[in-house]
Amino acid sequence: MKYTTDFGYEIKPVYGPGDVAGIEYERDLGDPGRFPYTRGYHANGYRGRMWTRRMTAGLGSSRDTNELLKKYREMGQRGGLCVIHDRPSSSCIDADHPMARRENGVLGWPGSSLLEFEELMEGVPLTGQSITLLGCCAPSSLRLAYVIALAEKRGDALAEIHGSVTESPFSNVFGQTDVQPFDLNMKLFLDTAEHIVRNRIRMRSGLVGQHFQESGGNNAQVLAIELSMLKEVCSRLVNERGLDFDDVMRLPYQLVSIGTRFFEEVAKVRALRRMWAKMAKEHFGAKQEKSCQLLIAVHTSGRTMTYQQPLNNIVRCAIQTLAGAMVGCTAIDNATLDNAYAEPSPLAALMSLNTQHIVAVETGAADVVDPLAGSYFVERLTSEVEAAGYRILAEIDARGGLVAAIESGYIEKMLNEEANKKFRELDSKERLVVGVNHLAIPPEEEPFKIPVREVEASDSEAIAERMAAWKRTRDMAQVEASVRRLYADAGKGDRFNLMPAIIDAVKAYASAGEIIGTIRVARGLKYDPFDMIRCPFALG
Amino acid sequence: MTRGRGIKVLVSMIGLDSHTTGAQVVATLLRDAGFEVVYLGVNQSPAMIVGAAIQEDVDVIGISSHASNFALIEELMALVTENGLADVPVVCGGNIPPSQLGKLKALGVARFFPPGTPSDAIVEYLGGLGRGGRAPSLRERVTGDE
Repeated sequence: MKYTTDFGYEIKPVYGPGDVAGIEYERDLGDPGRFPYTRGYHANGYRGRMWTRRMTAGLGSSRDTNELLKKYREMGQRGGLCVIHDRPSSSCIDADHPMARRENGVLGWPGSSLLEFEELMEGVPLTGQSITLLGCCAPSSLRLAYVIALAEKRGDALAEIHGSVTESPFSNVFGQTDVQPFDLNMKLFLDTAEHIVRNRIRMRSGLVGQHFQESGGNNAQVLAIELSMLKEVCSRLVNERGLDFDDVMRLPYQLVSIGTRFFEEVAKVRALRRMWAKMAKEHFGAKQEKSCQLLIAVHTSGRTMTYQQPLNNIVRCAIQTLAGAMVGCTAIDNATLDNAYAEPSPLAALMSLNTQHIVAVETGAADVVDPLAGSYFVERLTSEVEAAGYRILAEIDARGGLVAAIESGYIEKMLNEEANKKFRELDSKERLVVGVNHLAIPPEEEPFKIPVREVEASDSEAIAERMAAWKRTRDMAQVEASVRRLYADAGKGDRFNLMPAIIDAVKAYASAGEIIGTIRVARGLKYDPFDMIRCPFALG
Repeated sequence: MTRGRGIKVLVSMIGLDSHTTGAQVVATLLRDAGFEVVYLGVNQSPAMIVGAAIQEDVDVIGISSHASNFALIEELMALVTENGLADVPVVCGGNIPPSQLGKLKALGVARFFPPGTPSDAIVEYLGGLGRGGRAPSLRERVTGDE
């Protein structure tokens, strides 16, 4: 057994007053609601508002996912909904693309047109709950347009709608990949962000630090990545788009992963709050306190959900949810006990939602703000992970910031080395996981077979065929006019905001493949990222 | 490490799955064990994987699969058979529901390594798959080249 944190800090058997001797309460912690916000943003914690208890949905057709949203509501989803794209629509190719035909609706919602969003949201209000849509950066410009278009159709005031539908270009860089190029993602992110901020839309944009940790990164690294993401996007919005920093800070939220090493995860999130508050004030010169308060949502760790003895995952999820609740986050969505098998079964979804409600109402953990503050161990861990995070942040800064560090391969190397190290630690049993490398049993002796939600290749093909048939029923003159305008706008330089043209095209029912494909052509790229289909429009 | 000497392994993602950590970790541990590894990366259709296996003349095809991508593995196995590569073992790692394993095995998948498989189990199995210079290589069999 190893008594070190994942970032290499040696853990002592006992902690005492000497470990917190350097901490000054007002300077380093502060009451909840006071700078530097180590203890959170709200003086009365969850008594004012419980965290949003949600499940990520997305499976089958848009109508299937709509049913799922309604089911999750019945199961106890509260405060907001969360939907994730399938792989084709994340990649901005349409369901009828040759690369999509077996993956539509398989790992998410096939949301590549306004029609799909209308079906997804049928009978589901846009207001009164947060609307969160996830899955890559480029399609998130369309997601913003979907919300704007549907609100208009329904007569909902845009100001009444809140949530998060856009994502930063860093979403699929860490341990994942993106079909669309990084510079296109960055351009589209800046366009969505500027549109949101200038029009005072109440929509956040996700900075997904979660992916870095879930791909093997350690807690200190992930803090550095999260802060450098914020630094990069805020700087660009201020410098390249001429926005005021305090306005910009209405936009980002950080989606963090929480794993099973309970105290270390608690320390990480507390450190993140303090580090951001200082960066906001010292680096960006924040004028408003609100700008120093980074909104933090939690996704409990999917990578810790084991394939072996999956019922054990209920326990892991409970520990992680408790940590998420005790650090004072805004929203939690859980990984599920069947995470290593498929999209959640109804049983797995119910267990995850109930886990959140048990933590919220039965344990008392939500009754008191930042209940672990003052613990010798937790305060020391918070300071240690913060210090280690700052060292890595300095390395990234020295390389010219996150984008430059990614381009030079520094980040990928860091992450690969860490993922390999984590694997070796399991392989050599320095770290133990019950049912995997500790107390393992042969598969045939598994005492309980969990229900698994099956998907069929034919369901995916049906989504593809519907997309192909539906495309032919559209008013093509309107579609073509909208994409020609988009093409013209996309030729006007990186700082010309494409959101108005994207909204037009979405309203005309142009698809994701068509809209992003048109922008690609204007930027000198092939219409289809896989070079398998031709541009159906005469653009030039 | 020399257990993989002389054995060429194709490691590939399949379809649009972009969760590359597992494939990257396995590629590294195989290289460390002396295997020659061709890592194809992401966005590989079954046809691209089979094409690369022929082109690279590999001894074994390793597929990293995320939940529910097994439909593409079925397609891959059909192409493997169609192209006369049935004696090139296909092994899969990652998240495949147990209910699908029987079907994939029937289609010819040689071995499934679930998450948490020790590296020794992978190295030992793949280490036994070399042709040792005796049998004709894959490209020779497919193209008739000498």
